[in-house]
Amino acid sequence: MKPEDIADLKQLIEFLKENQVAEFDLDRGDLKIRLKFNSVEVSSTGLGDLGRLLGSAPAPARAVATATQPAVPAPVEPESGLHTVKSPMVGTFFSSPSPGAAPFVSVGDRVAKGQVIGVVEAMKLMNEIESDAAGEVVKCLISNGQPIEYGQPLFAVRLG
Amino acid sequence: MFRKVLIANRGEIALRVINACKELGIGTVAVYSEADRNALHVRFADEAICIGPPRLAESYLNVPAVISAAEIADVDAIHPGYGLLSENANFAEVCRASNIKFIGPPPEVTRLMGEKDKARMAMKRAGVPILPGSDGILATVEEAQELASEIGFPVIVKAKAGGGGRGMRIVRNHEELPNLFHAAYSEAANAFGNGELYMEKFVENPRHIEFQILADEHGNVRSLFERECSIQRRHQKLIEEAPSLQVTPQMREELGKTICRCLMEIGYQNAGTIEFVMDAAGQLHFIEMNTRVQVEHPITEAITGVDIVKAQLLIASGARLDEILPAKLEIRGHAIECRINAEHPVKFTPSAGRITAFNVPGGNGVRVDTAQYAEGVVPPYYDSLIAKLVVHGCNRAEAIAKMERALSQFIVQGIETSIPLHQEIFLDPNFRDGDFDTSFMEKFLARRN
Repeated sequence: MKPEDIADLKQLIEFLKENQVAEFDLDRGDLKIRLKFNSVEVSSTGLGDLGRLLGSAPAPARAVATATQPAVPAPVEPESGLHTVKSPMVGTFFSSPSPGAAPFVSVGDRVAKGQVIGVVEAMKLMNEIESDAAGEVVKCLISNGQPIEYGQPLFAVRLG
Repeated sequence: MFRKVLIANRGEIALRVINACKELGIGTVAVYSEADRNALHVRFADEAICIGPPRLAESYLNVPAVISAAEIADVDAIHPGYGLLSENANFAEVCRASNIKFIGPPPEVTRLMGEKDKARMAMKRAGVPILPGSDGILATVEEAQELASEIGFPVIVKAKAGGGGRGMRIVRNHEELPNLFHAAYSEAANAFGNGELYMEKFVENPRHIEFQILADEHGNVRSLFERECSIQRRHQKLIEEAPSLQVTPQMREELGKTICRCLMEIGYQNAGTIEFVMDAAGQLHFIEMNTRVQVEHPITEAITGVDIVKAQLLIASGARLDEILPAKLEIRGHAIECRINAEHPVKFTPSAGRITAFNVPGGNGVRVDTAQYAEGVVPPYYDSLIAKLVVHGCNRAEAIAKMERALSQFIVQGIETSIPLHQEIFLDPNFRDGDFDTSFMEKFLARRN
């Protein structure tokens, strides 16, 4: 094998590993490669496997929340240095104190720790949601009037 | 019929209710804590809503969070399962105020049964046998002394608001009564915010026998016969069976009728269980009522052919008992349940963690209710029950043989379980002969050491 073939092969292996391919066969006539990866990481929960086995099972639990918002809060911050303000309760999110009023915060606003950034209605009670960090609001992750669950990301804030 | 039901519970019972809903074409909404994000009740429900952090008080017992989830999911009804909010009359009231049907009895009835002294009196009035004791609460130690002389020691003082073995003391003579009375009083006051006590004659080593009933919302009540639940450790049931070897057809028939009459008068609705102690003479005495589905309901389902959880859903949506149950209920064969707990089989210490292998037995007459799976996690925050193994045979001997076979095929690795303990119990000659009472486990464990 030529050095560039070895380099290609390395690249191929990386690619297959990244995509969690378990087995790979290549027969080019002059070259035959058979790769087997025995340690495709068992997913942290096992549910991934179960889901595959069950086939017809629904995709991991959908929140009623919406079809557009993922039910499971993103485990990784979308951008480093960004802080996610999460909902402390289940309910309906409102971005302004009353219908038609200006929103508590908009993208680009600076928020202080403890500043009210929205309201969650739970059992007819309006609960003010405070930011748990100071910084600039760079992304609003929910819309006005949207049902949200506990721990759902509301805003992305650039700390500082 | 309901369009959509929220299940305010977790684990096997949440899945059990989801299954019943699916079979009836009802939409399902699971609620879960952050610790249960990967739980099966979350996966198999049509929708799922995270309602809080792992701690029970902040999630599954958090009434505003559960109701709020029910509102945003727009459900018609809530099934509370067992434990958690199932016997919380305030929760049932909030459901009613929020225009959500609580699948269980009305809050007034739950409250009446929760006040143990009043429940006792209601049963007495209807002619259900109760133990000799106080009519209502005891005002003073003097009153307690006087009553104890009348009914004879040993007696037991119990908290009217009681449950879980707290706020109760067994008293064997006059000398120890004042101290134990005050101990029970302060324990109850601390645990339940109410220290009021009542007194009953204490039955030494009774059998624990309970009757399953179903009541519709049109005044009809039926008995689904009894279960024998004497194999307990520290008031926690381990093995249950139905029917009981001790209950004669005549007792079953007569007591069943009396109970139904009593619950009709009270205005009971939905599924419920009336617990009795059986004394050495074979007499049954009422102790309390559980106003919810029981953990051990599957053994009654096995011998009667009635799906109790489906019946709960149908009753709550207005169906009449004669539309749900066959005209004549009959006992078919014998059923036994083992509660498989995530705990050490000898030391009884809880064993949370990741399950690495999970093989569930099957075959004719074997049923396993579980929400666990290989690679699943048993969180440390909740009940240790991970599965219920239920067998149904044509008689007790066949049921025992099936259970032994099924236990040997039930493999759980990664955590400790009570499976080896169950296997040992099934080898015990007294257990096999049906010769036991609630002291069985104590004696069994003493012999083992």
